[in-house]
Amino acid sequence: MMNRILYQLGLLLVLGLSQQAWAETHLITLKAARLPSGQLAYQMVSHKIEHSGGKVEDITSRYAPGPTIPGPTIVMTEGDTAKVTLEHGITDSQLPVSLHVHGVHYKFDSDGTTRALNGVADQAAFPGKPYTYEWIAAPGTAGTWPYHDHAFGDPKVGAEDQGLYGTLIVNPESGKVPALIDGKVTQVNLKDIKREFILWMHETTFWGQELNHIVNREIPLWTNPTVGARQGELVRFHVIGMGTAFHTFHLHGHRWIEPGTTHVVDTVNIGPINRQSFVVKAGEGVGTGDWHYHCHVVQHMQSGMMGKFRVIQ
Amino acid sequence: MRLKCLFTAVTLAAGLGLSLPAEAVKLKQRAATTSQAGAGDEAIISVAGVMPSATLEMTDEPGTWFKDPNDGDALVVVKPGEAVLIKMTDTNSEHTITSLIWQPGARDFPVDQEKPSSASVTVKFDKPGLYVFTCKVHPYMFGAVIVDDPATPGLDLGSEIQLVTGAKVPTTSDIAKKLLRTFFVVTTPALWRDYTKPTWEVKLPDIPLNLGGVQISLNALSVSVPNQVSLPATPGVGEVWINTQFEKIAGKTKFGSATQLDAATWKIKKKVKGIKTNLNHPHNMWSDKAYRYIYQTEWFDKRLTTFDRKTGDIYSVVTVGQSPSHVITRPGTDVLYVAINGEDRVAKLAPGRNHNLLGAINTGPHTGPHGHWISDDGKYMVTPNALAGSVSVVDLSSEKATEIPTGAVIPIAIGIRPQGDYAYAANLLGTPPMLSSMSVIDLKSKKKVKDIDLAADYDPVSGKTQGPAYGLLPIQTPVSPDGKYVVTANTLSATISIVDTATNKVIRQLPCDPGAHGVEFGFKKGGGYYAYVASKFSNVLTVVDMDSLEVAGRILLADPGDTRITGLNGYGGQGVLPLPLPFHGWLTETLKLSGSGELDPEVEGWLKELTPAQKGI
Repeated sequence: MMNRILYQLGLLLVLGLSQQAWAETHLITLKAARLPSGQLAYQMVSHKIEHSGGKVEDITSRYAPGPTIPGPTIVMTEGDTAKVTLEHGITDSQLPVSLHVHGVHYKFDSDGTTRALNGVADQAAFPGKPYTYEWIAAPGTAGTWPYHDHAFGDPKVGAEDQGLYGTLIVNPESGKVPALIDGKVTQVNLKDIKREFILWMHETTFWGQELNHIVNREIPLWTNPTVGARQGELVRFHVIGMGTAFHTFHLHGHRWIEPGTTHVVDTVNIGPINRQSFVVKAGEGVGTGDWHYHCHVVQHMQSGMMGKFRVIQ
Repeated sequence: MRLKCLFTAVTLAAGLGLSLPAEAVKLKQRAATTSQAGAGDEAIISVAGVMPSATLEMTDEPGTWFKDPNDGDALVVVKPGEAVLIKMTDTNSEHTITSLIWQPGARDFPVDQEKPSSASVTVKFDKPGLYVFTCKVHPYMFGAVIVDDPATPGLDLGSEIQLVTGAKVPTTSDIAKKLLRTFFVVTTPALWRDYTKPTWEVKLPDIPLNLGGVQISLNALSVSVPNQVSLPATPGVGEVWINTQFEKIAGKTKFGSATQLDAATWKIKKKVKGIKTNLNHPHNMWSDKAYRYIYQTEWFDKRLTTFDRKTGDIYSVVTVGQSPSHVITRPGTDVLYVAINGEDRVAKLAPGRNHNLLGAINTGPHTGPHGHWISDDGKYMVTPNALAGSVSVVDLSSEKATEIPTGAVIPIAIGIRPQGDYAYAANLLGTPPMLSSMSVIDLKSKKKVKDIDLAADYDPVSGKTQGPAYGLLPIQTPVSPDGKYVVTANTLSATISIVDTATNKVIRQLPCDPGAHGVEFGFKKGGGYYAYVASKFSNVLTVVDMDSLEVAGRILLADPGDTRITGLNGYGGQGVLPLPLPFHGWLTETLKLSGSGELDPEVEGWLKELTPAQKGI
């Protein structure tokens, strides 16, 4: 182990900071299934990481054990590739189900569309016939991206609206992201971020999930949850839209910078498949409390589209 | 709904040993673990929100307007503390998600979305019992949640139900049983009344129900009634159009047609199906003064379709707004007034094959006008404001609208006396504390002068009646062309009420069909009028003789020879349009065209059949 690290460090020194040196290959198996509620959802079956040195690490246990909405949050780094196999587990249906990913690179046969749309073939899983997609998190693809079904249902354009969607986070190869911390725009190390909150805005509901880096686990938070952190911790929010409605995400007591700019905001527009990630220091300048977050479209608020950001000592 | 599925759910809930498919149980257990993941783990501060245990998806599909994606039923069974996600999935119009029935004292109840939208809700239930949801725009869309406590025997319906009207009634009462039976009939097309069979059998399975300690079987609500189709002995004049709104038709994904019935022979001439344009829930019709065109609203959509009366060829499909419900023309100008039920206005369109939007009349905030009417002299338009509990009287010259609060729940249709003095507004869910009512509006003073209790002779607990006033959940309500009577279709009691306008009292109650809905008057051959009544959950048109005030016949609206109809043949009876129109304001305009060459020879023939009294001479 030590030898390998030393070897890799040595190699880095020799070859310069090559991206290839740290690149990982993700071997992922997802399943599309039906929840007891009748909604559809993706479930993580297996996630193994093949490190550049050949070592294989099984991280499946980090994920929630059943199907969830949103689906499993897959984390890659620029330079990584993923082989994602989708299994058809919707037992009451023969219709194809697929994975269509945003942001990262892939070849045509990994588009996740049906023949009706792409004119060539159904890039989808059928019962007993899984389908494998290849995603390339090429340089420049860092960001938070949605993945969703693009095949199920009639007329085969996808059942994202019924719960078949999830999140792909591509972290920058630099390991740093800009953030507004103590009033200044600065670069923070991703490894200093303790918790990540994924909030999907669908119709009039937030569907949430936490990636907790302290215990290294993904925690499903379902509808309009309370997301919680300790005061002073760096936390990253990922807010994504879904469906047909347009939303305005607002978090009380906290401000952040719009990615790529130095604009300080506390509300962002989120349309379907629009997304925004940002880092805040929990309770910065305002302290502890149950800080409200909600969609600022009044009708959506009235329908309960809200939750709490709980900041404790 | 498929009762087998309900039965499975019920037996599971009752602990009788039948189990859900293994996969589902496994998923349920896993989901239960995942939702508790992190409990006791200090590093995790987040608290998970509610995970829905069941879903009801709102659709345009007749019967299963709220649909469980697991089994296609309109009913889900959950446990106390569990939640249900209600969302709009496969529907072309906006709806509200509104509690119709709930358990008294249930936390966070009633649920009511003020305005139609596409917004979903996740509802958590703490109290066992029956909960029914509807849409205020389309108030026969029903979805039910039974919150069943597994510790009690039978399926818990609770000891009482709270109705949206404010009334609280025991679940053992006649009205509660009527509502429950109606729920099963409405949401189960297999239980709809089929007049091609000798009897109507509502056979409900033997499922133990717990009415707050009183145990009955669901099959106690079963009924069996003989069916008889009979053609009226005296023919009518002209033709009758009926919106068979629920028919399933090959080649299109949405539902319904316009059925054209020959009043001379009582035979179906044709059905206009709108296959190419995917006609969606055709609800109500009107015609131009020359009877060239049929103007057709699409209630679960945003469109008005215009087709040729004789050929059925579609001339135009115009987007007019959310859930256009009724269309009527103004006598004198022939301009169309289309009630935009999902919004707060009546759209004004130019007459003809295609339509320019001429403007819109605002009926007041959150009004949702449904079945409006225009006075014979073309002076006033009155809208029943389904979402506001009011009616609006519009002076059509100035287009000034006066909103009159009536205190009613879901005013749904209007009739106006030919004298132009009073309008009648049927209130679907009554004027609390009246269960079933009709408001009388003085058009000159623009005031409500009276509420007629349509169920004054009905005891909602025992179900006993002591007179003719026992009509429940009134819908369309026109005034006869001679001004003598208001005829109202009552969807819950499956009856027809006749009110004498001289006394404003119910003088007659006639048997009709489940989901009695649309009423309009047409000419009887040789003099007098027929009232034609269409019912959503039966496949006949009921004909009432306005001289004898008796049912003159029931005409089958199903066309078994039509292979294009793949299901629900003849069902969904809602809008009715007899031609010639017997109301003098409109009839005079058509009579003026007689002999000018502008009328089709067929129409000229109909006009010749009319007596001087019918012509208003």
